[in-house]
Amino acid sequence: MSKRIMVVDDEAHILHVVSLKLRNAGYEVQTAGDGEEALELALAEPPDLLITDYHMPVMNGVQLCSQLRAHEQLKSIPAVMLTARGYALEPEDMEKTGILTLLSKPFSPRELLAVVQQVLEGNGVAQGAE
Amino acid sequence: MGTARRLILVLIVLIALASSTAYYATEMSLRGVPVRERVMGWLAVGLTSSVCALVMVIIWRSLGKTVQIVRHQLSLLEGSGEVGLIMVDSHDELGMLVQEFNHYLTRIKSRFEQVKLQKRELDIQIRVADVEKKHTEAIIFSISDAVVVTDSFDELVLANEAAERTFGFRMSECYRQPVGQVIRDPQFVRLISDARGENMEHRRRVVEYSGKVEGQPRSFNVTLSGVMDSKGRCNGVVAVMHDVTREKEIAAMKTDFVSNVSHELRTPLSSIKAYVEMLVDGEAEDEQTRREFYDIIQNETDRLGRLIDNILNISRIESGVIRINKQPLALTSVIKDALEVAKPQAAAKQIELIDQLSVVCHQVNADRDMLYQAVLNLLSNAIKYTPAGGSVTVRSVSDDARHLVRVEVKDTGVGLSPEDQAHIFEKFYRVEASKNMAKGTGLGLSLVKHIIETVHEGEMGVFSRLGQGSTFYFQLRLCD
Repeated sequence: MSKRIMVVDDEAHILHVVSLKLRNAGYEVQTAGDGEEALELALAEPPDLLITDYHMPVMNGVQLCSQLRAHEQLKSIPAVMLTARGYALEPEDMEKTGILTLLSKPFSPRELLAVVQQVLEGNGVAQGAE
Repeated sequence: MGTARRLILVLIVLIALASSTAYYATEMSLRGVPVRERVMGWLAVGLTSSVCALVMVIIWRSLGKTVQIVRHQLSLLEGSGEVGLIMVDSHDELGMLVQEFNHYLTRIKSRFEQVKLQKRELDIQIRVADVEKKHTEAIIFSISDAVVVTDSFDELVLANEAAERTFGFRMSECYRQPVGQVIRDPQFVRLISDARGENMEHRRRVVEYSGKVEGQPRSFNVTLSGVMDSKGRCNGVVAVMHDVTREKEIAAMKTDFVSNVSHELRTPLSSIKAYVEMLVDGEAEDEQTRREFYDIIQNETDRLGRLIDNILNISRIESGVIRINKQPLALTSVIKDALEVAKPQAAAKQIELIDQLSVVCHQVNADRDMLYQAVLNLLSNAIKYTPAGGSVTVRSVSDDARHLVRVEVKDTGVGLSPEDQAHIFEKFYRVEASKNMAKGTGLGLSLVKHIIETVHEGEMGVFSRLGQGSTFYFQLRLCD
């Protein structure tokens, strides 16, 4: 079964291009335009990985990740964050929110795919070891 | 001969006469001299006594005259307020006394002249100091920064109007009152007493201070200077408060602006980069997808271009270096072009764009590119701040009496509070409540206002109520 990835961004073009890239690579992709929608979708069907923008209406990427982690079944979902502001996170905060990597915009879909593959494989191994 | 001696002599003569008369009368009565002869004797005694009394009266009158002269001269001197000498033509004791007195008066007179000279000098110095004081006060009162001056007991000696406003007191009521009683801010009072207490080697120190003025928080840079005497002791403190609240706000706005601009620039750039890479990597399999990618890239490139135009234009208009190319043109056609461009943005949010433009062709004398940008900005804003499913209506009406055309862009969006309406056209200003709704630089409306009012001498404004949408309008003069 292919891995499910959720992409959250308020920019429709980014959602479009990222989901196309990931689908072409064989992943199942779910998209959301803001944090609230993402939370709802994730609760209905938890994804294997979250890709979120930082700067979004309603709640930002970090808030979304913290809220996800408040739910038991969503606790272990790893996240990749896209940011257009050169936003930096402290290592503790990254650990707390489950954000593994920060990618700065403008980003390369190729690079994003590489990060996703690496995270999901790593994640897969970790899950397998448990 | 002295008056006293004269009097004593007369007295001795009188006593001698009296005793010899008494002796003679006794002798005569013992010897049985007849009464007639005794009377003769008494007569002689009486005559001598009268002469003596006359001499005494003369002496006494001369003495009284001299005293009278002295008194008269003294009263004249007293009336003149001057110190002068007393002239007496007499060489008796009184004359000598007056002479001694005159010596003394001469010394007093020279001392008096000295004091008068010193007084004149002091008067001049006081006048000079007074003028200098007035100058200093004029300088202090003309400073827009608040100035507070205290003495060595931390009492208030001088404060200008700005200080009265800042701390809410009246200098006329607080002269020489302890600064702690006048200014009810312990933090500021401590700054002053610390500055006085310090051995101020540098004599000047700038500290940051924040307090409340009329209930509003404000930030100041306070320059504290010690008033030093010649012995290096601190006799007081001058505090000058420069209000940096606005500067800080602007600095924060600028930082925010740079961050917003970079975000705004990166967003279309991200799309362009991503789609180009997808094309390069051959991820778009069919021609239709490729076509779609090309369109997106083109639109995003335009968006980037518009954004850069906005930023550049606003700074050009502000610095006055922009080239304006005004010519008569049909306002409706400019608005229709902008509507066409805004369509995809509206469609993406399912917002209905309603065209209620007048069929009459309104001719205005305007710079086409700028006017187009102004209308497009208004449309794009209306779409941005209207929730999905709403509508944006564009109307144009002419006011023939005033020879004006009025364009309105009405949305069904979130609306603006009166407070936000007051600031909405300020550069970098962003409505806090709707920041989350859409991204922006806080430049769009400021640019529109510049284009309408600075470049086209028109009028720009907004009607709005929270939750009931906003109507942005502008008015331009019709061509003759």
